[in-house]
Amino acid sequence: MNERMIHRHTRLSIFMHWFNAFCWFALLLTGLGLIKNEQLNPVGAWFPSLMRSLFGGGENLLMVHQYLGLIWAGAFLAYVLFKRRETWAFLKEVFTVSPASDMLWLVKMNLKMTMGRKGLQRFGLTPDMPPQGFYNFGQKLFAQASVVGGVVIVVTGLVMFFSTISMDNPGPAAWSRVIHYLTVGVVFAGLLVHIFMAAISREERPAFMSMFTGNVSEHYARHHHPLWHAQVATEKDKDD
Amino acid sequence: MKKYAMVIDSSVCIDCKACMASCKVQNNVPRGYWRNWIKHTIPDFSKGPLTRTHFQPGGCMQCDNPTCVQACPSGATYKDPQNGIVHVNEALCIGCGNCIKACPYDARFRHPDKRVPDKCDFCFSSGRLERGLLPACVDTCPTKARVFGDLSDPDSDVSRLLRDKPAVRVLAKGGIDTKPNMYYVAATAPTDWAGEVEFPGAFTVMATLVNPVVKVAVGLSALGVAVMWAKQIFSPDKEESEHESSAPGKD
Amino acid sequence: MKPATDSSTREHGMKTEAKTLSRRGFLQASAAVAATAAGVPALKGYVSSAHAAGVAQQAPITSHYTVCDMCFNRCGMIAQVQNGRVVKLDPNPKFLKSRGMLCARGNAAVEHLYDPDRLKTPLLRKGARGEGKWQQLTWEQALDHTAEQFTRIAEKYTRCGVMFSPGSDMQSQFLNRFAEVFGSYNITSHETLCLLSKNRAYLDTFGETPYADVLYSKYIIIAGANPLEAIITPDTIDLMEARKNGCKIVVLDPRYTKTAALADEWFAIRPGTDMAFFLALTSVITEERLYDPDFAEKMLFGLDEYAAHVRQYTPEWAAGECGIPAQDIRRIAREIAAAAPASMIYPGRRSSDYEDSTQIRRSMAIANALLSNWDRPGGVLAAREVGVRAPYFDVPWYDDNPADRIDHGMAPGLIHHEGSFKLMRDAIIKGEPYPIRGWFTFKTNFMQTAANRNKTLEMLNHLDFVVNADIVMSDTAWYSDLVLPSPSFLERNDPVSALQGSSACACAVWRDAVVPAMYECRDMLWICTELSKRLGFPESFDFTLDEYRKSQLESIPEAFEAIKADGVYYNPSKVYGIYFDSPLKTQAQKIELFNQRYAHEGLDPMPVYKAPRRKEGAFRLVVGRTAFFTHSNTNNALLIEFKDENTLWMHPRPAAKLGLKDGEMVEVESSAGKVALALRLFEGMEEETVYMATGFGALSPELRLVHNRGASIAEVLEDHSDFISGNMAMHETLVTVTRRVG
Repeated sequence: MNERMIHRHTRLSIFMHWFNAFCWFALLLTGLGLIKNEQLNPVGAWFPSLMRSLFGGGENLLMVHQYLGLIWAGAFLAYVLFKRRETWAFLKEVFTVSPASDMLWLVKMNLKMTMGRKGLQRFGLTPDMPPQGFYNFGQKLFAQASVVGGVVIVVTGLVMFFSTISMDNPGPAAWSRVIHYLTVGVVFAGLLVHIFMAAISREERPAFMSMFTGNVSEHYARHHHPLWHAQVATEKDKDD
Repeated sequence: MKKYAMVIDSSVCIDCKACMASCKVQNNVPRGYWRNWIKHTIPDFSKGPLTRTHFQPGGCMQCDNPTCVQACPSGATYKDPQNGIVHVNEALCIGCGNCIKACPYDARFRHPDKRVPDKCDFCFSSGRLERGLLPACVDTCPTKARVFGDLSDPDSDVSRLLRDKPAVRVLAKGGIDTKPNMYYVAATAPTDWAGEVEFPGAFTVMATLVNPVVKVAVGLSALGVAVMWAKQIFSPDKEESEHESSAPGKD
Repeated sequence: MKPATDSSTREHGMKTEAKTLSRRGFLQASAAVAATAAGVPALKGYVSSAHAAGVAQQAPITSHYTVCDMCFNRCGMIAQVQNGRVVKLDPNPKFLKSRGMLCARGNAAVEHLYDPDRLKTPLLRKGARGEGKWQQLTWEQALDHTAEQFTRIAEKYTRCGVMFSPGSDMQSQFLNRFAEVFGSYNITSHETLCLLSKNRAYLDTFGETPYADVLYSKYIIIAGANPLEAIITPDTIDLMEARKNGCKIVVLDPRYTKTAALADEWFAIRPGTDMAFFLALTSVITEERLYDPDFAEKMLFGLDEYAAHVRQYTPEWAAGECGIPAQDIRRIAREIAAAAPASMIYPGRRSSDYEDSTQIRRSMAIANALLSNWDRPGGVLAAREVGVRAPYFDVPWYDDNPADRIDHGMAPGLIHHEGSFKLMRDAIIKGEPYPIRGWFTFKTNFMQTAANRNKTLEMLNHLDFVVNADIVMSDTAWYSDLVLPSPSFLERNDPVSALQGSSACACAVWRDAVVPAMYECRDMLWICTELSKRLGFPESFDFTLDEYRKSQLESIPEAFEAIKADGVYYNPSKVYGIYFDSPLKTQAQKIELFNQRYAHEGLDPMPVYKAPRRKEGAFRLVVGRTAFFTHSNTNNALLIEFKDENTLWMHPRPAAKLGLKDGEMVEVESSAGKVALALRLFEGMEEETVYMATGFGALSPELRLVHNRGASIAEVLEDHSDFISGNMAMHETLVTVTRRVG
């Protein structure tokens, strides 16, 4: 492909993304394996039993979960500490929304993804999408959930971790587990969409590829992230 | 497969506290806490010379329907299928305290240093059973009020006692039968001291609210994905795919 | 028992054989299954096992026989040692005297051994007595100093100028031997605060001290005793077993003790009136001829005189004295006589109650005689033969010594080798008939256990040198001049001890150290040996402990192997009918209802009732103990959890009259002293009686758990004594109780 490519993700970002993906996946599986209770088993008793057999007992499973969680949180903490500017930029980006156009984008995107252009037409909507920046609104929503959820998960996780080390009251651990589980559940619901959009749908295939290469085609950028493209173009002009 | 149980002839208990002391030493139970107990009736002095007090030794009842196990989200406290003992896997426990509240007998306490629940396990974890010794409280009891053994062995002391003598169990209030494995030779007292099974708020919320919410959220999300996927496979938008593959855009 | 190598085989042997004896070892077959029961998978080996469920990997545990020393009973125990530490003490299932049990105190011996308050080095007093300024000494210095002081006192005041209190330890016999060789007659110990009145009464009735065959009894009256709390093996355990077998138990006690709580009938008898009850009981038995005439003919001396004597003591009269209804006295007399000879008046143990205690106990002994239970199943037994010899030693003659012990002649029934601490203390304070200036105490704590602590303090003012060997800084040690650290019973080898447990056994035991002695602790044999060298009689202690044991077991050499294998040797000696063919050791060679010696000495030959003193507005203070503590040995981190201070028990009715409320601080005052402690209102009290448990309110700050906690009985009890035996009389104090102001 001879099209001009635009740099979208640094190597560190790409690493952090996949590191995060791995941790989430592992933490989700081990965490799910930790729930072993007739009234709670989200997927049935076979799963925690299987995980315990694989790990040689619930205590090992817990330990892997706890320390992996600490490594995961630690890596992000390091990122935040050493890449303050990038962190700030990222947060600013994902938490900046223009409600009117973004909501419209969301509605349109939903219709488009489930019913196609006909769906848009059926509701009397034009096929063009409201322009999106570096992240589209869907990505922003998921990023917001990940950031907020991540903080909640880390905090509640730490409470549970320190419960038997230094906490004299069992209450916080009990409630932390409830919140931990709820948050993971909600973020996981978003994650399913994220995975589909990024890895399965054709729509965002270039974005998925950029999570390996770091670059997207100018065409894709202009089409999917026009505001970002415009910004990049301006900066480029300046540089030129 | 064993089913360890205790049959207690509380009529011979003299409230000497040997069982409590023995347990404490064997299991390093911290100061101010006990894994077992001796309860007693309040004497009615209006009976004059016939005034009596009944002393009643007890401890974890290793229930067949253990509400403590039901309240534990992680299986850190569990009933051992090999011998019926309700154990605590301290390494798997996060010290949430659910099980302590869920026990109607108050047989568990939060260990002040380990911050995990601690309870009688018939001296299993101390290694006594493995070494062929009786639980510390049973071994030391002066009047042998406490008798320990395997209910699935018809020749055991406990089986024999239960055959020979009518026995009762101290049951939780509020209708939940935890099916305790501590039997008292009938006419024991007091029998009304057990509390209600209380599943703590955190557990109830998780079981009845959070778990359904998470299931619904994940379910809806999965449904959406399924629809999108189906759409992509069965009725792809022509233009879109063209648009994706063809280099120059129309707009 | 040797550690490590052969203990495993021995333990195995012990267990297999134990199957027939007890429940121990019944789980053995299943041990292998149990080991894997927790189902902890393999990976656990790589992770921290500290928090793991199931059986953690442990260092090997070795088992060692020993004998408990938390009270006088000497129950057989098995010490479990891991990494050089005693981790658990279990009952020795082969030890029949204790019926294979270990009480709370025995279990708590681990805390006794590892008590942070233990004495660690010899200490010499620097400041005033009780000021707590000490200088550490080496043993060399401590022994030299002791020898020097003893020599100085002996030269100036004769060798009887040193008093010895050897205690009731298995090594006490060495200090006894030392005292006798040194040349002092003045030996007295804990017994003179305890069981002498009962012993005197039974010696003067049966010619023997009694052993109650509780297990086979069908009817037992317990008065002046609380065997379910003041544990006596095997009586305490047998009482509950007998009860299971239909034995009826009647308890007379002004306090609702746990014995009362588990009895068939409990009468809140007015304190000090037990004799009235027993005189009336025997009057019913004699009048209605409920005794066995053949036994009476053969065994009783003075029955007719006695029957005539008690005719005046009708149940109706007794009811007025003791508060127990006449028809109950009559009924109980008929019931217990019907159950005879397998029925008894429980002889009890501590009888240091009243000035008339010997006679009170004699009235009980006589009731036993009339039940014809002597030497018979379910009755009162004589001492059995154990076969342990007391090794012989020469007692030198010292010309300058006085004629006899200091308290000689002060009580008509003084037991010669025990004396009377109360009478000796009075004599020391007076300096008559001769001065005593030195005191050697071993594991006895008179400051806390003897009535009238202020008098003990006063006695100390007359003593130049007080040396005390103990495990902790007891109150007595705190006021001593030299304190010697003793090893606990788990850290030393002890000589053979002969024990009898009614019909349960006649047995011999010894102790081998379970763990090595900690700190600078040295046992009494070593101390006596070292002192004997310095005092010029080394030949009296020229033996090893093994040689001593050999000499003790000369006539029963088979005991060596038995004790090594089982921790105990049993002599299959005669249990019942010991006196079937031989005369009793009384003057009449029969059971003396009428005591001829008493008559000769101007004492009442038959018990004559004297009503206890009463004073308007005053309460009679009675003392006692719980199953968790022995006397003043309360400074135990585990046991203190069962009871961390004592309270004054009082019936709510008199309390209401005084306007006193439950839980408030009250002052208890007698002519001896005043103490403050919390009030506990309890309906299970006779209304003119108040009660305090022993062992609290310690003066010594180095007993950190009980220093100034609760109140000391020694502070408030007046020092009365039993007229006949000289035993301390601890229930003769009338106290006033008032709200503490400020």
